[in-house]
Amino acid sequence: MLGSSVQRSRSKNQYAGRARSAMVRRLILAVLVVGALALLTISFRSPTSGFLHDVQGTGATALRPFQVAAGRVARPFRDAYNWFDGLTRAKSENAKLQRELRQVRAQATEYQAGAQRATELEKLLNYEQGPTYPKDFRPVNTSVISFPSGPFAQQIGIGAGTSSGITINTPVVNADGLVGRVTNASPSTSVVTLLSDPESAVAARDLKSGVSGLIRHGQGNTLILDQVSKEQKVSVGDVIVTQGTRDRRYPDLYPYGIPIGRVINVGTTDIASYLTVQVAPFASLGSLDSVAALVSTKRK
Amino acid sequence: MRAVDGAKAAVLLFVAAIMQVSIFAQAHVLGGVPDLLLVTLVAVALLRGAVVGAAGGFFAGLLVDTATLGQLGLTSLVLTLAGYWIGRYGETTGRDRRHAPFVSVAVVTVLYSFGLLLVRFVLGEPAPAAAMLRGLAPSIALNLILTGAVYALVRRLLRPLDRSDLATEVQLLG
Repeated sequence: MLGSSVQRSRSKNQYAGRARSAMVRRLILAVLVVGALALLTISFRSPTSGFLHDVQGTGATALRPFQVAAGRVARPFRDAYNWFDGLTRAKSENAKLQRELRQVRAQATEYQAGAQRATELEKLLNYEQGPTYPKDFRPVNTSVISFPSGPFAQQIGIGAGTSSGITINTPVVNADGLVGRVTNASPSTSVVTLLSDPESAVAARDLKSGVSGLIRHGQGNTLILDQVSKEQKVSVGDVIVTQGTRDRRYPDLYPYGIPIGRVINVGTTDIASYLTVQVAPFASLGSLDSVAALVSTKRK
Repeated sequence: MRAVDGAKAAVLLFVAAIMQVSIFAQAHVLGGVPDLLLVTLVAVALLRGAVVGAAGGFFAGLLVDTATLGQLGLTSLVLTLAGYWIGRYGETTGRDRRHAPFVSVAVVTVLYSFGLLLVRFVLGEPAPAAAMLRGLAPSIALNLILTGAVYALVRRLLRPLDRSDLATEVQLLG
């Protein structure tokens, strides 16, 4: 009905009120975005110290009981899942472990004799060295209270902090092997950057051949032993441990001998300068329940 | 919005944030991770509008960054924008539509992932786009599975407002 007049139901006041509410809404959004950017800027400039970090640490301490409680609620469900998952893989894993046990038994005798001899020689030479693992470390056993969310953050939160002696760069292990290192710490919680983080680099060596390299993140759940030249010999099945030496570019923060993983594939191409050594980590980095932070008991 | 509603929304987002960092972040399925906090925020924003969505996103993000000792403000920034945008959608075209929560969750999962990637890239942090893209489809599927139950729960606690209570600029015809 083009000719009919349309009755306007809204008064000028209603339109003015609506415009005002839109302005208020946008103002609130602007304040929140600016607030978030300000926090981000301050946090980015001093991620491990300063007033904001202290406030964050206090907040993390206050939230910790809730995280622990949530973890306890979820534990039965997680255990049930792990039980069924473990059951399906138990048979093949058992056969593999039996094989490994036989090899390890044979090696243990050999290593025991060697270790005894090395200790005696060290005493004779008055050999000075940095903290050795596990003798010069006190484990701070703690539960994992937060997990990496998505592919961006390869970090976990643990329920122990500076009050337990943990500092930044403290190595973190579990029963299977190296997990990562502490990169942020508050009095009662800490952040552990996992080996699978793109920024992580660990000086490592092949226990059998003595070849050294850098452990970095790889595809999927694997790691890569990088910087190994083509002339060197690395075999599938070799055990990789921490090197314990200091590199200027990638300062090594781990003592010698923490198990990292086992070589699962060695490859190379004509144009590559280095071998591609794929390593399966001993520690299951995707499903960590509890870990131990290694606090040195020896003065550096 | 009444103070009781605000308190309910705050409790919902607090519980969702704690559950996200303590439980759901560990549930990796085919490379994807369910995001209970994002789904809860979408539900709250759809039912209570842009202001509550933005404020809820800001404080929920702050909670996540604090609990994980992550970079303060990073999650807040992205969740604030996500909450505001979904709130506006709820106040305007998405109002009274049954598919709105599902569409919102699917779209916001994509935008949230790209938003985080972009902010991390700008900050010079590791931003593995390939890994994010691989896990995106499973993450959307997992979030959609959560949506029905979470939206029903949130809707039960936060009853939909009258139209007159919503701050609208786009009036739907019909």
